[in-house]
Amino acid sequence: MSDPWAIRPSHLLAVFGCLTLVACARSTPAPAPGASQAPPAVAYEAHVAAGGIAPAGGALENPHAGDAAVAKAGEQLFAAMNCDGCHNPGGTGWVGPSLSDRRWRYGGADAEVFSSIYYGRPKGMPAFGGVLGIDGVWTLVTYIRSLPLPSDVPTESWEQP
Amino acid sequence: MAQGSAFAAGAPAGPSEDGQWTMPAKNYSATRYSGLSQINAQNARSLHPVWTFSTGVLAGHEGQPLMVGETLYVVTPWPNVLYAFDLRKEGYPLRWKYRPDVSSNALGVACCDAVNRGAFYLDGRIVYNLLDGHTVAVDARSGKELWKTTIADTGNGETVTMAPVVVRDRVIVGASGGEFGIYGWLKALDLKTGQIVWTGHNMGPDADMLARPDSFKPPYDGGADVGARSWAGESWKTGGAPVWGWISYDPELDLIYYGTGNAAPYDPEARPGDNKWSASVLARRPGTGELVWAYQFTPHDNWDYDATGAMVLADLGIAGKSVKALVHFDKNGFAYTLDRATGRLLVAAAFAPVTWAKSVDLASGRPVLEPAKQTGVSKGKVTGVCPSLEGAVSPASPPAYSPRTHLFYTSTNNLCMDYGAAHASHLRATPYIGVDFAYHPGPGGNLGAFIAWDAASGRKAWEDKESYPSWSGALVTAGDVVFYGTLDGWFKAVDAHSGQVLSKFKVGSGVVGNPIAYRGPDGKEYVAIYAGIGGDWALLAGDTRSDDPTDVREPAEFMKDLARHTSQGGIVWIFGL
Repeated sequence: MSDPWAIRPSHLLAVFGCLTLVACARSTPAPAPGASQAPPAVAYEAHVAAGGIAPAGGALENPHAGDAAVAKAGEQLFAAMNCDGCHNPGGTGWVGPSLSDRRWRYGGADAEVFSSIYYGRPKGMPAFGGVLGIDGVWTLVTYIRSLPLPSDVPTESWEQP
Repeated sequence: MAQGSAFAAGAPAGPSEDGQWTMPAKNYSATRYSGLSQINAQNARSLHPVWTFSTGVLAGHEGQPLMVGETLYVVTPWPNVLYAFDLRKEGYPLRWKYRPDVSSNALGVACCDAVNRGAFYLDGRIVYNLLDGHTVAVDARSGKELWKTTIADTGNGETVTMAPVVVRDRVIVGASGGEFGIYGWLKALDLKTGQIVWTGHNMGPDADMLARPDSFKPPYDGGADVGARSWAGESWKTGGAPVWGWISYDPELDLIYYGTGNAAPYDPEARPGDNKWSASVLARRPGTGELVWAYQFTPHDNWDYDATGAMVLADLGIAGKSVKALVHFDKNGFAYTLDRATGRLLVAAAFAPVTWAKSVDLASGRPVLEPAKQTGVSKGKVTGVCPSLEGAVSPASPPAYSPRTHLFYTSTNNLCMDYGAAHASHLRATPYIGVDFAYHPGPGGNLGAFIAWDAASGRKAWEDKESYPSWSGALVTAGDVVFYGTLDGWFKAVDAHSGQVLSKFKVGSGVVGNPIAYRGPDGKEYVAIYAGIGGDWALLAGDTRSDDPTDVREPAEFMKDLARHTSQGGIVWIFGL
């Protein structure tokens, strides 16, 4: 990063490439199936199914699930992609919602979080799939799923005990 | 307009006082002074609410209503609904409401809550900005949309929160995005058609800035292309300098004045140089956009010290001479009095605790820096910087000036910070920031105050301490009463001479809006104010929010009990005697 104050998307790919290499070197993940294709739509498990019949949905599996080294790389990516600018360092919430409180607008399963990052969401979540690619998004998912739960959920009290 | 017998009970208003509020800051000078005097220091204790209205919107209610003829106009935060209330009828029913289609994508590009700072009325039109980068003109009588123009690109990090100002047939607008590395600008639209007439950037080459060597005369730091040369490499292209505050206008000099925001990113080592004209005041011709002068309050901004706060125009007696002055309370903690014809600095004095600079040198116009408080990635965490990056006053909280007391009235914040700059990478439509920061209460422990300021001498006349940062705008009237609201939800009327509290009322949510005064169709004086905490407080005191069960936030570290006193919710309040 010779000129960190004016990084262009081409540079970002290089930054991301480094991080991926780190992740790859440590965990050698299997390449995502059909890496050049867009993933299929994912059913959101918490939706209420009309008629009691859940629709069929695509299945996405996180190739890095639970991998601490990938989660670490994801933390770097979380800063490099400016995720922290909206969700705060540690994903505790800023202008964008908290990612650490175990509460989810669009589902907290790996595949659901993947969909939110890859395609974006209404109310301002940009689509990062274009700049990050499939494995980059999985790296972020792995980090987000590793975040610790804040201590004061759900009750906040100002009374002396 | 009908004038009831009650009008005669007050001291007479000035002949120029029409009792309306047609512009964001009452007048082009941005004084937020109303010549109404029915409400005064003797009777203000009788103030009580006469009407309220829930806007149904939870974001921060910055800005102020307009009162034109017999109609009160209110713009909400996103989704930017425009309400027109009929003040002639009991209960003030709506004449109409206008609900534009505003993209929710803009919510992710707005740095600090989905606020809107108000509308402008001229020639039968209400003009205001939409968060997703549009300006609209609406027929003030029918509520029909007259035109809608795209002025900003959310895909490039731009949103629009500021209140436009209309000068003759020019609608002047700017964009937010200092946290997204935008290439900051000011634009003028034709009032009748909405067509963009000119665009002047706030930095960059002279051609982009509409600066000509024969007419651009900055009083201190000039030269060809200074707006590009004062940035390393091409860092000016992503240098921020947004326009999210207020615009004032001097008809005699035919100059508009506006402040620019922070330089981007927050790591100053990413952009060596003065970074002109970020954190500055610029003076332009409204007709052509031509840049006439500029003055930079915070060269090479190290601390996110936006200068988007109001530029108040007043004629002051300084050293025995009457001066056409421009007065500005900056986030950086200094209050500046400039000659508004030339931009030359006349007075600069700290109005809140300041540690980043020792003083401002009047000869060079530059701050005398405190070396230990300069920031950058190489410097690590710099502690004890005052003011915090919330500012010694928020630019969203404009001051008022009374030609009767010759005093300025403003909210202030008493917060300091630790500032650790970090590398930032520019990726379109994502935050371009680069800082790790923490706030601490400033000296004395009170987190804010409301003060009266003598801008001719640079001295504080009085101060009302507040437990929390003071985030509302100010209003002063010919009754010598000053009005402001507090973050914990009190609306206060205080004596303009002493600051003594005359009346206060708990308005349901913290106040981040600006009071107005007007004469109703019944001839009586009223004061209107928004309640509705938000803006930066939606982020910092996340526990004041309860609108989303999937998003639970911690209290502010430096202020753990604000949510004990207030929660979100927009309400329009009207008070009367």
